[in-house]
Amino acid sequence: MNHLSTYLSHLFLPGALALWCALIFALCTMWGYAQALVAGDANGGGSASGNTAARTFARRSYGFFAFSIVLTAAMMSLLLMMRDFRVEYVYQYSGMDLPTYYQFASFWAGQKGSFLIWLFWGALLGLLVRRTAGPNEPAIMGVYTLTLMGLLLILVRENPFVMLGKTPTDGVGLNPLLQDNWMVIHPPIMFVGYAASAIPFAFAMASLWRRKYDGWAERAFPWALGGFIVLGTAITMGGYWAYKTLGWGGYWGWDPVENASFIPFLFGTTMIHGLHMERAKGRYRRANYVFAFLTYISVLYGTFLTRSGVLADFSVHSFVDLGISGWLTLLLGGFFLLGLFLLVTRWKEIPTEPNEDLFLSRGTFMVLATITILVAAFVITAGTSAPLLTKVMANPSQVGPSFYNKVSLPIAILIALLLSLVPYLTWRGNKFSDIARKMVVPGVFAVTLTIAAAVWKVHDPFHLTFVLLAALALATNLQKTIGKFQVSGLRGAGGYLAHVGVGVILLGIIASSGYDESTKVTLLQNVPRQVGDVSLTFKRFIPRHGFEKERMEVQVARAGQKPFMVYPKLFMNLRTKQVMANPDVRTTPFQDLYVSPIDFDPGQPRLQLAKGDTGRIGDVEVKFTGFNLQAQGNAMAAMQAGQPVTIGAKLAVTRAGRTTELQPLYRLNPASGQVETPPVELPGGGALIVSGINASNGAVQLEAAGVANPMKLSLDVTRKPLIQLVWFGLYIIILGGLLSTAQRLREMRLRERLAEAKAG
Amino acid sequence: MKKNRLYVLGGLLLVAFAGFSFTTFKSSMTPYVSYQQARQGDRIVQVAGALEKGSSSYAEAKESLYFTLKEPKTSENLRVRFKGVKPGNFEDAISIVAIGRYDEKSKEFAAEKLLVKCPSKYQGAEVKSYS
Repeated sequence: MNHLSTYLSHLFLPGALALWCALIFALCTMWGYAQALVAGDANGGGSASGNTAARTFARRSYGFFAFSIVLTAAMMSLLLMMRDFRVEYVYQYSGMDLPTYYQFASFWAGQKGSFLIWLFWGALLGLLVRRTAGPNEPAIMGVYTLTLMGLLLILVRENPFVMLGKTPTDGVGLNPLLQDNWMVIHPPIMFVGYAASAIPFAFAMASLWRRKYDGWAERAFPWALGGFIVLGTAITMGGYWAYKTLGWGGYWGWDPVENASFIPFLFGTTMIHGLHMERAKGRYRRANYVFAFLTYISVLYGTFLTRSGVLADFSVHSFVDLGISGWLTLLLGGFFLLGLFLLVTRWKEIPTEPNEDLFLSRGTFMVLATITILVAAFVITAGTSAPLLTKVMANPSQVGPSFYNKVSLPIAILIALLLSLVPYLTWRGNKFSDIARKMVVPGVFAVTLTIAAAVWKVHDPFHLTFVLLAALALATNLQKTIGKFQVSGLRGAGGYLAHVGVGVILLGIIASSGYDESTKVTLLQNVPRQVGDVSLTFKRFIPRHGFEKERMEVQVARAGQKPFMVYPKLFMNLRTKQVMANPDVRTTPFQDLYVSPIDFDPGQPRLQLAKGDTGRIGDVEVKFTGFNLQAQGNAMAAMQAGQPVTIGAKLAVTRAGRTTELQPLYRLNPASGQVETPPVELPGGGALIVSGINASNGAVQLEAAGVANPMKLSLDVTRKPLIQLVWFGLYIIILGGLLSTAQRLREMRLRERLAEAKAG
Repeated sequence: MKKNRLYVLGGLLLVAFAGFSFTTFKSSMTPYVSYQQARQGDRIVQVAGALEKGSSSYAEAKESLYFTLKEPKTSENLRVRFKGVKPGNFEDAISIVAIGRYDEKSKEFAAEKLLVKCPSKYQGAEVKSYS
């Protein structure tokens, strides 16, 4: 009892209560739906009558559950906005120095908050899922609530409302890497995608469980498309953030956390194609269960990999174990076994259509494309799991980006080939000669582009094949999109438009990552330097002004063009004293000029060196090897006697390749407090004095006079050809997805109205 | 083409790709090794250790960062060269993982990527990478 009261006294009770209420209401929801199922079964199978009372109870409970979660999240936001540092989470992730929007973004800066926002979206989406669930609602909502229960249990166990037992005046602050506009919106959107992945899973598992194999695909389709779009958008934003903010020059690094979102995206891609096949031709009926299963399980698996600490030594932004790896394993294992059990026991019963397609037909090519994407997803999963897989055999290893790049090249080529044929294939099958005839115009376009690429600088045969097929995929699908548009407007053009986007992205990827040019230069202030066809001049250092960080002004001039300025940032995070670098990107239609700061030397004549440290002033390199306490008499003895003390600083000074030993002196008269620092001559001109001694850390402060020491800025200047195509292609895919979703929703409404009309 | 033959062809392609992935997987694996093993091998490996205080310097001419890693248990040393930006929180690192290969000529470990583990206040111990 005592134990319990201590526990309770360390909780922010309103928040914790809301969370516990959510748990109770979630249990009520499941109980209610279970009752509805039992009553329905007793009534002879799922009729709406007889179980209305239980169903109403369950629906209300779910409403209260969702409300409790919203309340929990609101409570957390409120605590953050009030900067109530009594609460551990608020203390750990936010601080007084943050502007309001970053303070709000601290919500998802930590583990617990991320799970809370995931649960928040899941609970809200559930309200809509209930409306679209149809006659199988009790089973679907039962499974769906169960998926949310997993997250809820983690939060109940690792309560986000734990208090510190004291009231700090300031929090620890937000990780400086996360203090970026993109990071304010990217994580919450990602979690919408994660939450949405549970919806097709719930539809599929409920359908298997209740042996109602018809109709689920249709209802789950818009959800699968929606999840695909949201996840795609979130991945795009993450890449954009990496490119614009992190400054390592790329948008994708095959990091485990990135892969953890990309793998579900790939499985989701197979799922939307499979559901399309099922809707159109009644095919893929077994496969779609597997796809829905894999999409959700891969989300859980990714969460397990990145949140349980198993990859802590291998990833950029992996979290360490917070003591929840057991829960995550349970969550993953539980849903995996549940799904597997349902799949295995129902497999034989699922009705199928025999595959009698000709080789050159839409059906066969869909199968091939699906297999290719599945292979890609599994290979990336294997790569991401490398530390786990190799742990069994020897010391854990990871695979570098080269693995993913090499393996994806053949996959991308194959995908491009399949995509370029898709617009011409029909369900009935086609003759090759017909297809060839239709492909003349796009073919000419693709060949022209490939020749242009070869003339430019692409010579690798694989890369040329890649360009040819990507361009072909783009052109054939564009042709088809335009054709569809002329016949029936935007309706039905979504899928082909998305394929155009894939072609565009593939071209952007190969150009920007295979043929970028990077140069590292060090610029002296106001001295122009030629890098390729541009001339760079470091103009000035602009100090911090309000929220605008320290920037460097660099002029870029190209012969015959108006010069422009770029402003890469290299600034100190005031709280952590970390140096942060932000690149600046100048976009032109055909290439990006990516200017990333490496090092800035303010050119001050002062240095502080600890023993053994080396520093530089202008062209003079100074190494501090230690103090000499015997420079003039014994300094320690003199100090104790209160007499004038003389200390020498032993320096190794290197200039123009020659090293000289120097020993400037520092004299202190303790009686008068007077300090004398006689200068020593530097070889090659100028002088050096000891301007101070830091007794606490044994460091020496040096100051030089008469040494030319201009400001210096080291930059990494990269030219990335056609990188805009990557973003442009992603927008096209997202747009295509939106069009398809709108079309599916329209069809669903139409069908419902038809059914109503029939019933009436 | 006959259907069966297609299945065989598809199967063969899949097997070939699986083999290709597996060999690529093996060759791009970067195992954690001791400093001694790192000195012998010519493949890409990872080494971990603590930063020897005061051993780091940025050589402008070579655009590289030089520092010494110290194995906490055996007190072995390894000189590391990293061509790139010095990670901002580098000096505070409690542990540094360097991924790269040993350069026989300069007797240095040439790192392509650094993972810097900080005694971070943010998330227990957070890892940041710089490549």
